[in-house]
Amino acid sequence: MSDVETLRTPRAESQDRLQDRLIVAVPSKGRLQENAFAFFARAGLELQQGRGARDYRGTIAGLDHVEAAFLSASEITARLARGEAHFGVTGEDLVREEIDDPAHRVELLAPLGFGAANVVVAVPAAWIDVRGMADLADVAGGFRARHGRGLRVATKYVNTTRRYFKEHGIADYRIVESSGATEGAPAAGAADLIVDITTTGATLKANALKTLDDGVILRSQANLVASLTAPWGDAAREAARIILSRIAAEEEARTTRELRAKLGEVGDKLLRKAETKFGATLRERGAGGLLVFAAPAHRVAPFADWLIAHGAQTVTSGRLDYVFRADNELWTRLSARLGGG
Amino acid sequence: MTRTDRPKDQERLEAVLAHFLDAGFARREPALLQPAAVFLDRLGEDFRGRLYLVNDGGDAELCLRPEYTIPVSLDYLASPEAGKPAALAYGGAIFRIGDGQLAQAGLESFGREDREAADAEILGVALDAAKAAGAARLHVRLGDAGLVRTFLDRLGLPPAWRRRFEIGFARGTPLAKIFATPARKNGEAGAGMLAALSNVDAAGAKKLVEDMLSIAGISTVGGRSAGEIVERFLEQASLADGGSVGSEKRALIEAFFGVEGSPDAASGALRKLAKYAGLDLAFALDSFDTRSSFIAARGLSLDDMVFSTRFPHSIDYYSGFMFEAGVPGALGAPPAIGGGRYDTLLKTLGAARDIPAVGAAISIDRLSGDAA
Repeated sequence: MSDVETLRTPRAESQDRLQDRLIVAVPSKGRLQENAFAFFARAGLELQQGRGARDYRGTIAGLDHVEAAFLSASEITARLARGEAHFGVTGEDLVREEIDDPAHRVELLAPLGFGAANVVVAVPAAWIDVRGMADLADVAGGFRARHGRGLRVATKYVNTTRRYFKEHGIADYRIVESSGATEGAPAAGAADLIVDITTTGATLKANALKTLDDGVILRSQANLVASLTAPWGDAAREAARIILSRIAAEEEARTTRELRAKLGEVGDKLLRKAETKFGATLRERGAGGLLVFAAPAHRVAPFADWLIAHGAQTVTSGRLDYVFRADNELWTRLSARLGGG
Repeated sequence: MTRTDRPKDQERLEAVLAHFLDAGFARREPALLQPAAVFLDRLGEDFRGRLYLVNDGGDAELCLRPEYTIPVSLDYLASPEAGKPAALAYGGAIFRIGDGQLAQAGLESFGREDREAADAEILGVALDAAKAAGAARLHVRLGDAGLVRTFLDRLGLPPAWRRRFEIGFARGTPLAKIFATPARKNGEAGAGMLAALSNVDAAGAKKLVEDMLSIAGISTVGGRSAGEIVERFLEQASLADGGSVGSEKRALIEAFFGVEGSPDAASGALRKLAKYAGLDLAFALDSFDTRSSFIAARGLSLDDMVFSTRFPHSIDYYSGFMFEAGVPGALGAPPAIGGGRYDTLLKTLGAARDIPAVGAAISIDRLSGDAA
């Protein structure tokens, strides 16, 4: 983080504040914020921003011991890494780039389906001889002998680039750090190629650059991320459990349908077949041979056909608002990572 | 980790330095704080992960010195004796992320035209200093980057294969895999153009593609000229077109990189190979033998040393003689002493011309073999 950023962003959370509440860091502007608000709203979690638009603190309606912090995506990532926020909405690209040893500091709980973008290696389109990373390794190998210097790569993804280039055996190059308009660096003569984030590739095209065939380093999207280094007191754990149970309840309801059918005698064998063939699970047995299944939304029609083939007269399918569970997968995973206490 | 805090290492460091001074080397102690770019430029961006970087608000990134050779070379170039023979020694702390602070001592010999004698002197003084510091007998491995380069030059591999080989060799890729013909993808963009070009001679093909790029308004992009792009495009085309190294050259490469043994035995085997293949390696091998004689004249036993054509893997940095020495039994452990000749480095650091240079570095904590 640069000095300028430190001056501009609000003071870091004190340890006291973190002990007795759950801090959820949410993007503070633009489409990322709109999408994040929509994501929480779908799960029945209404984010409320403080008095003014400039206030960076807020709450979640109806939940005690929860504080929302509205910050830039990069600051959210930094706070998750430092343990100064419990939850955060941020891009996987930033998590992989800015957090040292992310596997031990954060848990990517769920991809959120927005903010999709790829971190790619792009070279000038005129390099008709360079199609993949192997070509780039070859060019890098001969570059110094010809030009008296290594290849220059403009990027703000310094760590991501280093890891990926190492995997592909490219060592002789220099990174030119760039914080904005990276795609213009080759045309400006400041670099030979770039590693940058792109959504549609249109900006790359406009700058006469092309992505290498195997040059997609990371397919990123916004994620709900939990900090493993934040102090997880009882209040924070309980609030986290509630939030994750609502998110999981909405997600399960959105991605599954409830199917009802009367089948009479049904053995375990048939139920197992429903599971392996359609991913359908039995939710309950009602009177008169009524069976209630949950099935993935996109498998509903073939599963209904199959039920009819096995003797059902009518199969109805419906969409639920929420499917709450005593044990939800998100919380189970997080609490396992957090350990006891 | 601060290994130099160990009194034993400090004692050893002082013993090594005392021996260097006795042998006629003058002590140099470059600044702790160094410009980071000079290391990244020469050792590669990947080395950034090992540097303790410091930012003082200025434009230039600084780092704690991660090694001595480059700083000592820069000091030498800035001194009045630049370009003249100089025998320099250093010793103190270096800093690398992952290892923390390490004690290192070493030698640099600049400007001597009698390269073989200078090579032998650096090897001999470094081994003697280690002994003076109480090190057990060390296993010595020798290599020769200059000899490897000469062999590859004489072999006359097409440039594309030469690079492919050097990159693969540095990464430890098996020869069979390096020399496998790259698969040509059907329907690959550019395939039509390649097919059209296959009926034109090399000069004509180059002109044709160059014209095409010039019509498209492309002269230089991202530091590569259109001519350079075309050259490599056609090279790759010839690779994909079933062009291969040929079984004869492959067999020679396999034989060459199979040579390993005492320096005299290796030299004999290489002379035989050169004669059989009709390759002129006489100059490189004469120099090799002269150096061996100088090493033996210092009272070192050549038969206890192992020369290998596969050492070093990467020949980027070194230009000639190379060696490393380690505590026996510490299999796979990094060597305690490493060094070699790097005649091309000083010019990249600002010297007006190439200046002969050979040096050695001793990792003090590895001398006893108990650090690992």
